[in-house]
Amino acid sequence: MSDVRNGPGTRSTGGVVRVVLVDDHMMFRSGVRAELAADASIEVVGEAADVEEAVRVVHGQRPDVVLLDVHLPGGRRRPGGRDVLERSVDLVGTATPVRFLALSVSDAAEDVIAVIRAGARGYVTKTISGPDLAAAVHRVAEGDAVFSPRLAGFVLDAFGTGAGEVATVDEELDRLSTREGEVMRLIARGYAYKEVAKELFISIKTVETHVSAVLRKLQLSNRNELTRWAADRRLL
Amino acid sequence: MIAGVATGLADHLGISIKAVRIGLIVASFGSGAGLILYAWLWALIPSVEGAPVSSSGVLAPGGTAVRARDSHLGDLALGVLLLLAGASVIGARLGWAPSPAAVLPVLVVIGGTILAYSQLDEVERSRWVARAGVGTRGAVLRVGGGLVIVLVGVLLLVVRGTDLASAGRVLAATFAVLSGIGLVLAPWGLRLWRDLDAERAARIRETERAEIAAHLHDSVLQTLALIQRNADDATSVARLARSQERDLREWLYGPRPTADATVASVVKAAAAEVEDRHGVAVDLVLVGDGPLDERVQALVFALREAMLNAVRHAGAPVSVYVEVGPDAIEAFVRDRGAGFDPASVPPDRLGVRESIIGRMERHAGSATVRSDPDGTEVRLDLPLPRTASGPVSDGTPEEALS
Repeated sequence: MSDVRNGPGTRSTGGVVRVVLVDDHMMFRSGVRAELAADASIEVVGEAADVEEAVRVVHGQRPDVVLLDVHLPGGRRRPGGRDVLERSVDLVGTATPVRFLALSVSDAAEDVIAVIRAGARGYVTKTISGPDLAAAVHRVAEGDAVFSPRLAGFVLDAFGTGAGEVATVDEELDRLSTREGEVMRLIARGYAYKEVAKELFISIKTVETHVSAVLRKLQLSNRNELTRWAADRRLL
Repeated sequence: MIAGVATGLADHLGISIKAVRIGLIVASFGSGAGLILYAWLWALIPSVEGAPVSSSGVLAPGGTAVRARDSHLGDLALGVLLLLAGASVIGARLGWAPSPAAVLPVLVVIGGTILAYSQLDEVERSRWVARAGVGTRGAVLRVGGGLVIVLVGVLLLVVRGTDLASAGRVLAATFAVLSGIGLVLAPWGLRLWRDLDAERAARIRETERAEIAAHLHDSVLQTLALIQRNADDATSVARLARSQERDLREWLYGPRPTADATVASVVKAAAAEVEDRHGVAVDLVLVGDGPLDERVQALVFALREAMLNAVRHAGAPVSVYVEVGPDAIEAFVRDRGAGFDPASVPPDRLGVRESIIGRMERHAGSATVRSDPDGTEVRLDLPLPRTASGPVSDGTPEEALS
């Protein structure tokens, strides 16, 4: 996913990012572990294969970033990734928060939106390359949001141009600003954050601010169209 | 002849149909035993049209007798009436003049039976044909009605000539006996019903499983076999895996297939084709959807050309973004190749100029190509008419006329 390829150079602190991998496929976990090993500033401190284990490991390790599979076995609610998030909510608001990056093969909008709304800081598909994934981990560790082109497409579809016609009570949360829309469209077109910044004559930091704002809207907006849209639309 | 019982019986017993018929008719004269036998057989023997004979165990050893009949209730009723008429004529000849008080209850019983049996037939037929109890309310109504009529007829027959008090006693006794029977049979009936239900659910599950298995066999297993055979060729393995992934994803999460092609469906198909042909991943993001027409089709052709250029000259990753808005369709194809100068393309190279730019302009759209050392982006714009539906025309002759 090209929007996260801006490399680890933008990291603010020199510390090592501690990561927990949550995925029920052992092969996939070892693959990701090997890929992240190429980045010296990322350390995988734990793994988990189901919801219960994930909640336990995350609470035990208190990592900086959790790479969370959306579809996990176990747990009380579907998809399992959302269950993990909801049961780790006590770790999100702390001084050293645990941040979640959703990782999935499922591109069903319904599941992606569910995990994002449960608190994940971003969503990437499992086909992401190793360096891109490492970059995404660093970005999430710094508190920024990670949007793949596909997630940007979901956002544009859900907050779509046509959908904003009816004025709703919570106006601010229910529609994207012009700038946010532009940023989302460029990301959907495959632009990296750096390229978005160049295209719009703004700084990368501003791009990140816009993306985080969109993430916040995605998480907090209670326009029911969003949920309905996600349920109706099982795209790609 | 009426319900095909004779034919079925002849088939089952291996004797000639004529013999069966004669036997039945002769039996009919013996105080109507043949008639009763006929009706009984007709009710209990499954008909042939549903080849899988019901396993209700009605027929004893080798119970495969089936009725070859075309059930026409009208004909049947007529036949019964004719037989009755004939019987009464013969009865009159023999000096047995039935009193009206006797005939009426018999007629009532017969009418009720026909009503209930007709239902049986219908239920059976609908089960074979549709497998679903369509109009079950009507069925209950008819069976219930038939039952009540038969009961009334039987009562009339039994209590004929007795006084009201004894009639009441008979009624009470009958009721008590029926309740007893009902009580005894209820658990059994309930279990039978549950078994039937469970069996039906299992069958539905089985069908679903079979469908999934068939799909996996045709797609995933085939691809896995191909991957094993091409294990040394990384490019084709990647291509096979990618195309299988797309296919499975579409099957799992895709919208249910609709009759009409839409913008999204043709764009997806075009991207898939390009991906398969060149083994280069195309990241497609689609926003919105809309109906397809000639102009949109032109945009898709141009888009396909742009994707082909990107995978040929730049390679992965190729990002494609298509947004179908209310006023326009916009499409972007971005690659990360070395870029080229659109102005320096020789005039004989028609790819970009004709297939993309020319095609878009002919359909009242536009195409721009922007290229720099970081890559190339082709942008296609197609304004849509304000009216959401309706044919698209580049001029406005209708408006000019009005």
